Amino acid sequence: MKAFTFVRARSAEEAAKTLGDSKTGLLHSGGCDLLDRMKERVAEPDMLVSLCDAEGLSDIRLEEDGSIWVGARATLARLAEASLVQRFLPTLSEAAALAASPQLRHRATIGGNLAQHTRCGYYRHKSFPCLKRGGDSCPVRAEGGVQEMAGIFDNETCASAHPSSIAPVLGSLDAELVIRNADGRQAFVPSFESLWASPKKGRASDLALAAGDVIEAVRIPARDTKQFVGYAEIRQRKAFDWALVSCAVRYEMDADGKIAQASVWYGSVAPTPWRAGAAESALRGKACTDETARTAAEQALADATPLAGTTYKVQLAKVALKRALAAARERA
Amino acid sequence: MPRTVTYKVGLVGHDKHKQDVPAVEQDLTVEIHEMDAEPWGREDTFRHVGHEVPRVDGAVKATGAAKYTYDINRPGLLVAGLVYSPHAHADIVSVDAGKAQGMAGVVAVKTFARGSAKYPGKIVAAICAESEQVLADALEAVEVTYKVKPGPAVTEDAMKDDAVVVDPRRKTNVGQPRRGPLVRGKPDDAFEGAEVVVQATYRTPIQTHSCLEPHGCVCEIHADGTATVWASTQATSFFANQQLTSALGLPRNKVRVITQHMGGGFGSKFSALEWDVLCAEFARETKRPVRMMLSRRLEHLVGGNRPDSIQALRLAGSKDGTIAALQGEVWGTSGNSSGGGAGAANFGVYTLPHLSMLQHGVATFSAKGRAFRAPRHPQGFYALESIIERYAYAAGVDALAVRLKNDKHPIRQVQWRIGAERIGWGKNRRKQPGSDKGPVKRGVGCASGRWGAAGRHTVGRNQLVFDVVVDKEGGVAFQNGVQDIGTGTRTVIAIIAAEELGLQPGDIDVRIGDTTYPPGPGSGGSTTAPSIGAAVRNGALRVKESLAGLLALQWGVDEAQLSWKDGVCHGPGDKQASFRSACSLIGEDGLRVQGRRMRNFQSAYGETAGCQFAQVAVDTETGVITVENVVAVHDCGRIIDTMTARSQVNGGVIQGISYALYEEKQTDRNLGDMVNPTFDTYRILGMQDCPPIDVVLTSVVSGYNNTGMMGLGEPATVPTAGAIANAVYNAIGVQVTDLPMTPARVLEALERRQG
Repeated sequence: MKAFTFVRARSAEEAAKTLGDSKTGLLHSGGCDLLDRMKERVAEPDMLVSLCDAEGLSDIRLEEDGSIWVGARATLARLAEASLVQRFLPTLSEAAALAASPQLRHRATIGGNLAQHTRCGYYRHKSFPCLKRGGDSCPVRAEGGVQEMAGIFDNETCASAHPSSIAPVLGSLDAELVIRNADGRQAFVPSFESLWASPKKGRASDLALAAGDVIEAVRIPARDTKQFVGYAEIRQRKAFDWALVSCAVRYEMDADGKIAQASVWYGSVAPTPWRAGAAESALRGKACTDETARTAAEQALADATPLAGTTYKVQLAKVALKRALAAARERA
Repeated sequence: MPRTVTYKVGLVGHDKHKQDVPAVEQDLTVEIHEMDAEPWGREDTFRHVGHEVPRVDGAVKATGAAKYTYDINRPGLLVAGLVYSPHAHADIVSVDAGKAQGMAGVVAVKTFARGSAKYPGKIVAAICAESEQVLADALEAVEVTYKVKPGPAVTEDAMKDDAVVVDPRRKTNVGQPRRGPLVRGKPDDAFEGAEVVVQATYRTPIQTHSCLEPHGCVCEIHADGTATVWASTQATSFFANQQLTSALGLPRNKVRVITQHMGGGFGSKFSALEWDVLCAEFARETKRPVRMMLSRRLEHLVGGNRPDSIQALRLAGSKDGTIAALQGEVWGTSGNSSGGGAGAANFGVYTLPHLSMLQHGVATFSAKGRAFRAPRHPQGFYALESIIERYAYAAGVDALAVRLKNDKHPIRQVQWRIGAERIGWGKNRRKQPGSDKGPVKRGVGCASGRWGAAGRHTVGRNQLVFDVVVDKEGGVAFQNGVQDIGTGTRTVIAIIAAEELGLQPGDIDVRIGDTTYPPGPGSGGSTTAPSIGAAVRNGALRVKESLAGLLALQWGVDEAQLSWKDGVCHGPGDKQASFRSACSLIGEDGLRVQGRRMRNFQSAYGETAGCQFAQVAVDTETGVITVENVVAVHDCGRIIDTMTARSQVNGGVIQGISYALYEEKQTDRNLGDMVNPTFDTYRILGMQDCPPIDVVLTSVVSGYNNTGMMGLGEPATVPTAGAIANAVYNAIGVQVTDLPMTPARVLEALERRQG
């Protein structure tokens, strides 16, 4: 990797300020994804601002208003094991327990998981042209490209798939991001959806954050009514592997036993975590039955634009939604 | 004088299953060389041989004390690395290493700015530096200008009529075997009159060796004009080839090669290769020790691979399950080297009265294939066993019955029965494939394997010998250059020596992996253990002979009156001496004898037999396959260590499942480069995906050599993919004809069935 300055920040505030003042500095936490990219020289920051010594960033706590605060440096292992998460956010715990390997889960943080870049083999190796790295087009899309792991939505310019399986769960829970700005202010990303930006030539990150923005925490809001949550992940190997498709759902029931409101999010199907609005509409006002799930799955994938090598993901995504809904019903 | 002995050979035990199998035991008469012992017989009992003996080097490996080539550090060590072309086909226009040359800490630079690069991974520059960090920066600073040209990187593209040819002297990339197709009997007639004919085309991927330790070496030239090369190699005796020694500027006898431990070879690491030679040149030029190990990416690109295959097969037979004829055409690429090296062992095991097989090597713009654990076999047996499965369904005959009917090997006849019982064939085999209710469907399948490794008595043109050194305190060392590629070579040596000398395996000082000792055989063809085992036993016999001579002198009796039993030498009357007390008669300078490997005897069995059964669960909604159980039945002649033998079978099955379900070198067909050259994208089976593996070792007294050992490393991976594919077919009622059987391919096959 290219030489860089390593700065240990004492707080998110200090990190944000230092980053804001740097030229091409990047935030470092678990380093699981970042160091890989630096070794491949896909990322060549002049400075790493590390949160490793910052205090109080890894709390997982129940707030007075009933919301749950997850510090950006909470590891996936803790998300998987913390009783608070297991009890109130079971899908988050489930997805965290399935991610990566035991070693990585003890190192990887929730903030880093959201900030990680696509695992697309073209993006990860400088010898390949890549739109995200400034190339003119995405070679994955070409006939003869290796497409197996590519996305099936929002793939007109770049066919990468966002690898996080934690993100769709947070999306389904309407998680709120607590950000520390370069000028020291604490800010809230208004919606999980607005956290993400579609690929653009030369832009590597999938987060719609400004340089110097530091994710400080993820807040999962409290709910007055009973929540039904389910998660399903389809992957080739049980051992350390990336999801082919992941899906997280959350819904509430009205007094008549109909779905009052639903949230459906996918991972690994688009360059960013993917909200399936059509499926949410299809679920609203229906009883949560197999038939409803089937309809919602069809709706969710109606607008998919798979490449020749990713048509199978359409089927997987339908199944994932059905299984996530079934899991939600079963849990209840 | 050679003597002739007659003894019983064949399968030991498994009486229940061998009742109906003729020729599973027979009398064999062999001629024994005067310097050798007759083979261990069926009735012999052992204190160590055939028992569960932990690896003698288990502790150093588990604690990290074992030194692999990557671990070798020397005072003043320099590190070297490579710049390579990422293109399938390009002219190297210029290589500018000026910037790298000027960097602090860069010690030497070489550039190769000539000609064309015809595979991704082609070396264009090499740099030697003071540290890994400087090296990485310097490699990055080299500027290479390519003129990129079209060139097919994968087999199917190279086969097209208008494809750019790799070798400009040829008209096409598709090679034709000089002698045409292999033909036996009258295949055309057999197909003409056949009751049942099935056909299908099977595809297997390029599989990379993925050794945990990549290729490479450390070279050091000493002040006295000798050199030491620590290499990750399967053949210490052959590693220092002419290119390496001339790069070092030394005659071969001045070059010592050491391989104490290695992190996997699987056939890819025999001789010094391009990068090793560059490492040697750097060591010579800089007069300092230099380490050059391939990066993971380069290891995937140029470290070697199992060639892919496209196998179009046709099989004819009758309705009673008798196979009449097999006809096929095969294409596969072994990279850019004249198209040779590919091929599929897709006939054999079964009686195939009529056969026609045409195999083409296809040249592509990709790096060369290398020997890979049972070359040609896993791909060939996957296709052969798949087409037989198709035939069995078409003929309406049980697939196991078809195999029993057409396979004449007496040992495998028993193995099929053992495996069928343990997998629960009667209960778990779906009579109607794909008939399970619900989305998750189960099935079982089976496949055969074969190998034939009885070992060799030579290393190159010399006899294989062990130096055996015994001191007066009873210390025993067995010395030979042979390396342990992870199979347990040290343990096998220790067990055989201990058995013969009445000691414990831990008492034997096993000195190997060093060309200071007599040349050792290369670890290939599953021949290492059977080759060295007989030499070790021979050496132990020589030790006992010499000690008996010393005791005879001491006791004043004739040597012929002495005999050894369980490590105690008995003389006339009640005279006796333990091994250790006999050793006290040895002089200060120790006792030195040679254990010599004699020629193999004739044996009743030309091949080792094996078969495997698998049970799978297929999620038909997602196409995800879970292997739930594997039964692996293998013989390797006499088993020396049940633990390490079982490990070999476990490893073979694991690599076979990985080949069937996960591994695939994925190449972009436009850019020609590998897209998944990392361990998170090149999928290999992980622990959580490893099913219970029920290993049944059918010990066979083969008579091949004085231990009766045969090889096991390769045969254990031959049947696996076929057994899993057939289990999948049984589970879902449709054949997935491409490996690896990914969710995408399984769903596609299911769709084909519905459509």
